[in-house]
Amino acid sequence: MALHLSMGEAHRRIAEYLARFSDAVSSQDGSALKSLIFVSSNSFYLLALADALNVFQDSSRLVNQTDKYSQLGEILIPYFRCLQSIRIGRFVDAYVAFEKAANAFLQEFRNWETGWAMEAMHTVALEIRVLAERADRELASSGKNPEKLQGAGSFLMKVFGALAGKGPKRVGALYVTCQLFKIYFKLGTVHLCRSVIRSIETARIFDFEEFPTRDKVTYMYYTGRLEVFNENFLAADQKLMYALMHCNPRSKDNIRMILKYLIPVKLSIGILPKMELLEKYNLPEYMDVVNALKRGDLRLLRGALRDYEDRFLRSGVYLVLEKLELQVYQRLVKKIYIIQKQKDPSKAHQVKLEVIVKALKWLEMDMDVDEVECIMAILIYKNLIKGYFAHKSKVVVLSKQDPFPRLNGKPVNS
Amino acid sequence: MATENKPAAAEDAKIDLFEDDDEFEEFEIDQDIGCSEWDDNEEGKEAMQQWEDDWDDDDVSDDFSLQLRRELELNSEKS
Repeated sequence: MALHLSMGEAHRRIAEYLARFSDAVSSQDGSALKSLIFVSSNSFYLLALADALNVFQDSSRLVNQTDKYSQLGEILIPYFRCLQSIRIGRFVDAYVAFEKAANAFLQEFRNWETGWAMEAMHTVALEIRVLAERADRELASSGKNPEKLQGAGSFLMKVFGALAGKGPKRVGALYVTCQLFKIYFKLGTVHLCRSVIRSIETARIFDFEEFPTRDKVTYMYYTGRLEVFNENFLAADQKLMYALMHCNPRSKDNIRMILKYLIPVKLSIGILPKMELLEKYNLPEYMDVVNALKRGDLRLLRGALRDYEDRFLRSGVYLVLEKLELQVYQRLVKKIYIIQKQKDPSKAHQVKLEVIVKALKWLEMDMDVDEVECIMAILIYKNLIKGYFAHKSKVVVLSKQDPFPRLNGKPVNS
Repeated sequence: MATENKPAAAEDAKIDLFEDDDEFEEFEIDQDIGCSEWDDNEEGKEAMQQWEDDWDDDDVSDDFSLQLRRELELNSEKS
């Protein structure tokens, strides 16, 4: 297409863009400005502009020769370079140019008193992350060190700083926070989340309720995930439930992601998802786990952990699920107790270790009496079983009242 | 996108560095408008009700429990 573009047409397109850009700024039209810089939208308009720039080749002259454009030149000239680089698939160059434009934009943004350009600022925040990712892929595939995403993170911290004030711009801070989360999660540097979280949650200038719902949902999703990593299950439940409750119902993929982390949390506090939920949101990896808990089937749990080991490891929930073993043991012993009660109620509260060993053997778990004693001791210690252990006779003596306390929404005592 | 020949395995290994499998998708801007619609959504309420906390019952009539019972009755002179 570029080959058929005349110099005249190219010139016209660039001049038109410049006019629109400067009009958007002077009339403080935030959404117009946003659409003019939204590169990754792949808009036909911006692609056509990029072609024009590549043909015309001297756009800086056009910018500088008119006063009202040259004032915005620090933004426009590198931005044009970025567009040109994207068009020919050079993403490192594109990123470097965009970073320049972004910094210049931030400087102007600081001077604009109201939040009229917030949408555009957010678009800059999104674009710098997206471009940095593409740049890093390009670097990595040519054997170089991928450091652009990190750089984007530093830029976003500057943006955050510009928004963390008393004025109307502060409601835009949570969006930027979420972009930072995405960067840190991608880089695996989640410990860096701490300082922005602290700013959002403790600074007096921020009122969490003021932020837009979509940003609150995203924020709760990521901070919820952090709570899962840290095994703070009650906090994780609260945050991920918030995200689930307030998420746009059409965002099925996002709902699925919330559930992916929420389900292990729920299981850890004794609450099970219905199969319909797992089916609807395509989470088959949890089906056997849920059934294992319901039945007391240790073999099934271990099988599920084995079959989906990669998936669970990648999402970081493997250890959380592995620890469910104790709850499955509880359920198994409870079933043995109920079965015994049906045969002989008077003796049911005494469960011989031998019997448990036999059950475990049937479940392909070869354990001797001593190992089983150990596990029973742990279950008693963690209040999953109420009773005591008669060591000499190798019998667990269950309390007559509520021998298998339910978790009731609280995690197992650690 | 610039095309270069790169060994697929190396590229995959490198791509691994950049992955968070579960990156939240950006919410479309127009989904901001009428956010109260989100809150009142039926589906959301449904997703909330798909949990059970009363599953830990005393029912041992399921297959697993019946097999367990049979297993424990084998050599039952010992127990």
